[in-house]
Amino acid sequence: MTRRATTSRRTFLKAGLAAGAAIAAPARLTAQPAPSAAKTIRAVMHGDLTVLDPIWTTANMTAYHGAMLYDTLFGIDANLETKPQMVSKWGASDDSKTWTFELRDGLKFSDGTALTSDDVIASLKRWAARDGAGQHMMQRVSVIAKKDDKTFQFILKEPYGYLVDALGKTSTPLCYIMRKKEAETNPMEKITAYVGSGPFLFNEAETRQGARYVYDRNPNYVPRSEPASGLAGGKVAKVDRVIFENMADSQTALAALQAGEIDFYETPPIDLIEQLESDKNLTLEVLNKTGNIGWLRMNFLHPPFNNVDARRAMLYLLNQEDFMKATFGNPKYYHKCGSNFGCGVPMENDANTQWFKEAPNPAKAKAYLEKSGYKGEPILLLQATNIDFMRNAADLVAGALRSIGATVEVASSDWGGVVNRRAVKAAPDQGGWNLFITWADGAAVSNPIALAGHAATGDKAWFGWPSDAKNEELRDKWATAGSVADKQAIARELQENAWNFVPHVWLGQWVQPTARRKNLVGMLPVPGVVPFWNAEKT
Amino acid sequence: MLAFIIRRLISTVLVMGLVGVFIFLLLHLSPGDPAAIIAGDNATPAQIAAIRNSLGLDDPLHLQFARWAVRVLNGDLGISIFSNVPVATLIGQRLWPTVSLAFTTIVLAVTLALAAGVLAAWKAGSLIDRLVMILSVVGFSLPVFVVGYLLIYVFAISLRWLPVQGYSPMSDGFWAWASHLILPSLALGLAYVALIARITRTAMLDVLAEDYMRTARAKGVATGPMLLKHALKNAGVPIVTVIGIGVALLIGGVVITETVFNLPGIGRLVVDAISKRDYPIIQGVILLFSGVYVIINLMVDLSYTLLDPRIRY
Repeated sequence: MTRRATTSRRTFLKAGLAAGAAIAAPARLTAQPAPSAAKTIRAVMHGDLTVLDPIWTTANMTAYHGAMLYDTLFGIDANLETKPQMVSKWGASDDSKTWTFELRDGLKFSDGTALTSDDVIASLKRWAARDGAGQHMMQRVSVIAKKDDKTFQFILKEPYGYLVDALGKTSTPLCYIMRKKEAETNPMEKITAYVGSGPFLFNEAETRQGARYVYDRNPNYVPRSEPASGLAGGKVAKVDRVIFENMADSQTALAALQAGEIDFYETPPIDLIEQLESDKNLTLEVLNKTGNIGWLRMNFLHPPFNNVDARRAMLYLLNQEDFMKATFGNPKYYHKCGSNFGCGVPMENDANTQWFKEAPNPAKAKAYLEKSGYKGEPILLLQATNIDFMRNAADLVAGALRSIGATVEVASSDWGGVVNRRAVKAAPDQGGWNLFITWADGAAVSNPIALAGHAATGDKAWFGWPSDAKNEELRDKWATAGSVADKQAIARELQENAWNFVPHVWLGQWVQPTARRKNLVGMLPVPGVVPFWNAEKT
Repeated sequence: MLAFIIRRLISTVLVMGLVGVFIFLLLHLSPGDPAAIIAGDNATPAQIAAIRNSLGLDDPLHLQFARWAVRVLNGDLGISIFSNVPVATLIGQRLWPTVSLAFTTIVLAVTLALAAGVLAAWKAGSLIDRLVMILSVVGFSLPVFVVGYLLIYVFAISLRWLPVQGYSPMSDGFWAWASHLILPSLALGLAYVALIARITRTAMLDVLAEDYMRTARAKGVATGPMLLKHALKNAGVPIVTVIGIGVALLIGGVVITETVFNLPGIGRLVVDAISKRDYPIIQGVILLFSGVYVIINLMVDLSYTLLDPRIRY
């Protein structure tokens, strides 16, 4: 008699348990002591950190990562004034063509090696190769020279008043200081080692790409003695670890915040703010006071927006209130803004804003559109359907244009599709476009040099390719101006000219409240990045 | 049998090859530019062009495909164009949360569904039967994310019994591992419980009406052994088939579940990669998924021979 091979329940259960154990086993093989919960901040930021080189990309998440790891020569404080950070002393020669900078004592990288002028100069060159403001600066620089390990000089071809502000600007990419070794990487390629000069170091072993990013306190960092203020002052890491958790779902992030599983949520949905306000364990605070500005970009290469009257029509046609209400609802978090440099910033002004006082004025808009020679040809509007503001704004723009008799074709896709198509310079019926919608960081908008969209350099300009010689003359003049008052005066001239040739249309300005557990204190308000130094749990 | 297995394994390679070509073309011909996404919104067209060039995205499509295919044939799935991390490493990091979720979901679903299906068939027409059928309709109709949010609200926020989100490896302790998987497995498994329970009930009803079951009853076989040993085993083929289909469908379900419960698994990896157009990750994961699909189907086919000796290949 032969016994048939059978599987008993007991064998099955054993096999099941063994399989379960096998599945779960390949976790962490070497346990490392993690800092206590009281010394760890878990934060959910606005998106995933996809690129780790903060010079290579302008993505905000990478700028946040950079601010944890790297220090800057200068930084803006809570009042948006540029203050020294890694620099102890600096000054210009009488002719303002030679600027000398001395580094603070004791500066080190997170690996314990000394930070010298060589590292700074290499970092400056790589940053300037990638950054618009850096390129603008380097056109005026003869050489950046090392004097000694702590001192370096900018030798300029002409006086350049924007120099220190460029080094401390918060629009991306910021001028982060890296080791010479990384800084000598081809600016078109990404760095692969992350040895920082800032208050935290990157814990690559604990990081899981796409899931969580772990930063530990940098024991080799020497903070300034002044109190922390924005990106300036003493960057004292008061916790041992900060973790950026990447949560794709906002409801889950909110639930995790309410349950105390995370401490900070950068972008809670505006429509759930009231629910959060009623939670006694949470605090809501706007950290980036300059917020974001909705932005309608028009294509200067093709009719009808190659004609200034068609662009003027858009200024008079659109009501910013509609755009803000459609997406953000609560007026506490948005406002209308007619300044070309955004509102609540030093360069804000009211030059040439008659349109802002009148809009919406459909009759005037219609008259301008007819004056432009528009005869009802289709206007192609790119719409990103996966981003609330962009989807809603495109619907409103299309509706407003149709209300004055224009023919509008809406090309809907995800944001990736819009990003792809907006780069096409061909005519709209050959794969190009007439209009698209995005937004810009308020701090970047406030600076005529830092925001690529402020340039009107034709073919070399940002998408839409506006061209205006006077705009470029005035931008150069602004960059060389010495005092804030001088800059403000030039900003008025820039705006006067801008609202004449109309490079773009603003769709309103909004701020994003952050939400955090009440026991998380010391978060610093600043545009551009979210700092975690100075923050602690009580 | 061995020849059948070899034939199927060869077909697996062919299927994966075809999937690879299809996915490559689909990704590269659809709109979206990873260089523009990498560069950020403030980048100029010149900066984006430079990035595209550095990534080799300017090369002709056939050249890009050849480069990728040669690497894959050498066992190299490539490197993420965003993070510079090898795709194999990323998949390795994300594999265990997904496998854990799939494993616990299948165990939970099969256990609950078999019990419910057998019970419903045994008590056909009774209140229990109707209750099981009503619950299975509800389970099948509710979307995973709705069940997920409800479970989070009740068990994580109101009762505070279980964590809202995240994954904890078993090296942190069995309870830490299990507690993070209970709610996701319930949310994901509900539809499968419904599906398998209905099929089990139907298959069991057919078998229970067979003559040999009447004979077993007449010979005095106890209810338990009769249902489980005689009836359930003979009803096994359609049940195993639907479990196999369920496991394959599970791969789609984990994407949503991993997002709702913030599990750092393969599903979220591929969704994030799609939104960023990170081609090497998408291609690598789809290849993996297609291989898993084919192997599951092979295992289901082989299991038929264990359940029904009349089936031979």
